[in-house]
Amino acid sequence: MLNFPIWKVGLIVVVLLWGTILAVPNLFSDGFLGIEPKEVSDPTNPEAVAAYEQQLQEAEDSWWFLPAGKLNLGLDLQGGVYLLMEINPDEIAMNRLEQFQGDVRTAWAQRGNRDVILRDANVSLVDGRLTYRLNEPDRQMDDALSRLRRVNPTIGQTQIDLFQINEGGNGTVIISSPPGALTALAKDAQSKMMEIIRRRIDPDGVAEISITPQGDNRIILEAPGEADPKRIKDILGQAGRLTFNMANLDPSAIRAAVASGRPSPRELLVDSMEAGQILINRIPELTGADIATANRCFDEANFPAVCFRLNSSAATKFYNLTRNNVGRNFAIVLDGVSMSSPSIRSPIPGGSVIIEGRFSIEEAEDLAAIIEAGELPARLNFLDERTVGPTLGAESIAAGSRASLIGLALVGVFMVLAYGLIGGFAVGSLLSNIVLIIGALSGFGATLTLPGIAGIILTIGMAVDANVIVFERIREEQANGRSPATAIQAGYERALSAILDANITTFIAASILYLVGSGPVKGFAVTLAIGILTSVFTAFVVTRWFTVLYLRTMRPKRLAM
Amino acid sequence: MLLRLWPEKTKVSFMSLRFIALIVSVTALLASAAFLSMRGLNLGIDFAGGAVIEIEEPADISAQDIRDVVEPLIVGEVQVNSARGTGPDAPDIAVVRFKPQPPVGDETPDDAQNRAGDEVSAALRDLIGPERFQIRSEASVGPKVSGELFRSGIIALTVALGLMMIYISFRFQWQYALGAVAALFHDVILTMGMFAFTGFEFNLATIAALLTIVGYSMNDTVIVFDRVREEARKYKKLELAKVVDLAINATMSRTLLTSGTTLLALLSIFLFGGPVLRGMSFALIFGVIVGTYSSIFVASAVVLLLGIDRGDKPKREVEGFQGVG
Repeated sequence: MLNFPIWKVGLIVVVLLWGTILAVPNLFSDGFLGIEPKEVSDPTNPEAVAAYEQQLQEAEDSWWFLPAGKLNLGLDLQGGVYLLMEINPDEIAMNRLEQFQGDVRTAWAQRGNRDVILRDANVSLVDGRLTYRLNEPDRQMDDALSRLRRVNPTIGQTQIDLFQINEGGNGTVIISSPPGALTALAKDAQSKMMEIIRRRIDPDGVAEISITPQGDNRIILEAPGEADPKRIKDILGQAGRLTFNMANLDPSAIRAAVASGRPSPRELLVDSMEAGQILINRIPELTGADIATANRCFDEANFPAVCFRLNSSAATKFYNLTRNNVGRNFAIVLDGVSMSSPSIRSPIPGGSVIIEGRFSIEEAEDLAAIIEAGELPARLNFLDERTVGPTLGAESIAAGSRASLIGLALVGVFMVLAYGLIGGFAVGSLLSNIVLIIGALSGFGATLTLPGIAGIILTIGMAVDANVIVFERIREEQANGRSPATAIQAGYERALSAILDANITTFIAASILYLVGSGPVKGFAVTLAIGILTSVFTAFVVTRWFTVLYLRTMRPKRLAM
Repeated sequence: MLLRLWPEKTKVSFMSLRFIALIVSVTALLASAAFLSMRGLNLGIDFAGGAVIEIEEPADISAQDIRDVVEPLIVGEVQVNSARGTGPDAPDIAVVRFKPQPPVGDETPDDAQNRAGDEVSAALRDLIGPERFQIRSEASVGPKVSGELFRSGIIALTVALGLMMIYISFRFQWQYALGAVAALFHDVILTMGMFAFTGFEFNLATIAALLTIVGYSMNDTVIVFDRVREEARKYKKLELAKVVDLAINATMSRTLLTSGTTLLALLSIFLFGGPVLRGMSFALIFGVIVGTYSSIFVASAVVLLLGIDRGDKPKREVEGFQGVG
């Protein structure tokens, strides 16, 4: 217990140094040593931002020997928006079922009158099931089943059939999604939607947002620095289904449709951003999938607008469409609302389209991001939403640091009062403990939350426990007449099992907290668990090392404690 | 002279106090049960769902103004509390709370919650003016997630207790495990009772605090048990009550010192750590005190009641870990 061979000393020094090196970058603000973080003069100007980032990068590079990882501050400390969203697999299945119904209709319609069986059948879509009732089941059933099964789509990259297609009795064919397919569908939609969400929220890929899956059908979005949950929910709340439809702006036709409430079967009545309602063709000419890029631009009157470019095949299609329909109107429809319905003055080559509207710059940017990111396969349900403003975050950091310092000082004074010089050693190892905790948190890239700071403070209080157990033992042994060296020896030996048992049980509690906790609570569990490991190490190894050094150099007759 | 919280070489007979302690504990447990069943816990939005919006409140806006614009939008009770901002010229703070909203039409309950939250923040923005409107924090939890969070909190507590019991049975004897778990239940119930009594908000952070209390109390108990085991081996003929007393006396100084430093740290969080951590640190402070008490008067008393196996049979027990390091 009392001999420290050179390799042990080496190990202690290495661990402490390693912890220190990992912890040190946290002392520096973003500006890094000496270079004050200057506010970017114009955050909207990409060149100014790039120059600022370059400056930061150069400053960081001059400290290359320090690790880059710093403590990540949780959203409760740096401010930001946390959003837990859920995808309803039934809803996606329903959308896919409707799509399937449409596909079947077009596929069968194209082949003319030879394939009348399904066109003549009655179709209904209820309770997530698509039912075809055949006119002449005896003759048509086998044919219908095999035709439908041939067009049964598979899910994403998997080989799993999306639907099961079965005879339902009474001359019906029933198409529905089995539970296994629903799970696979949700999983597939989850990864697609994460990508769409990222492109919508962060079209330039610069923000530090994190989008993570939870379970099979949930998505967590964390956007640090964002203070307005409403804007995020607005951007994500839209399906983003964009279509180009030929439009009918004839006032009398519109009036008739509005009055009767039922336009002709080939047309739909939709709201228009420009004025009232307009009629559009039910079947779109182009969809969002045909768009290559979209961004915010300015129209001729210098109002913000959204410009987008079609991919090459769609551009050709669009050129032909405009060439054949000069003088008529087409509408750009987003989620059932016409954004713009210009008239075609001449054929439009090149596939560049602009949506004009009275947008603000921000609206135009969001809209461009939504259009470019594409359509969400299902609606997102917002289950849990938390926002912390920058003020509260800064206050929490200040309060957390203040409480840590005061707690540390109180515990330190208390230990020195109780155990004198040896208590001082314990305070030294307590400081190294904190450095190790911060180093480990930075090294693991763990997130520091406000409860996490509470965890560190709590560890400060509890970490001395291992020291106290040993010191009490040493006191006892010394009172029983042992010399300092043997008392220390015996104290450490006898205290070991108690210390390990006690800390393993607390570690169990921390691990469970980590497994079931979320967000800030998880942060608490991480610091608590790391704190337990480092405090056993520092109490048992570092304090002992200090004590042994003291014994060897000062050779005290008796320990004052 | 160095600080002594407990004199050396004491011979206090803790175990002769165990019947008094039993009365104290049972009374406290009954009181907790009564508070829990009658007043119930003040569940925070983590578990009850609903929304909390905390904004800066300019001097010319009163809590009543806020209530006037929020109430028409919300079904059920709306709570509006004003608080002083922290810091010399910090603006005042208004906290608006409301319960989960019933769905309208074909909305899901989660949609209803969301819509209400959005409407309320829009109304507040209009009331205060967009340029002065500052959200300090906002949280809106739908009924689905709040139910799940509550279940997972309860599961976490149960699993933690179970695992610790297994660990203690493995390291000690089953009597110790029962004693330790009795002490843990005692601590958890009393702390929850305290939350029901004071009306402090019971949320996810409180569950974290409860688990930490469980860990701390277990820690304390194990230290005493470890000593009981050691003394029982040393004095094989001594009656068990005396052995337990010896162990408690020997560890008392450590118990008080560790509780002391932990309480100092917690007090510093409670007083200086800001409002967000107040509920959590309150739970921890109370739990540490109760946990210290229970490791002596509940855990040890249960072991005394059940008796322990004192080496009549061949020893299977391992001293464990000794010799490491």
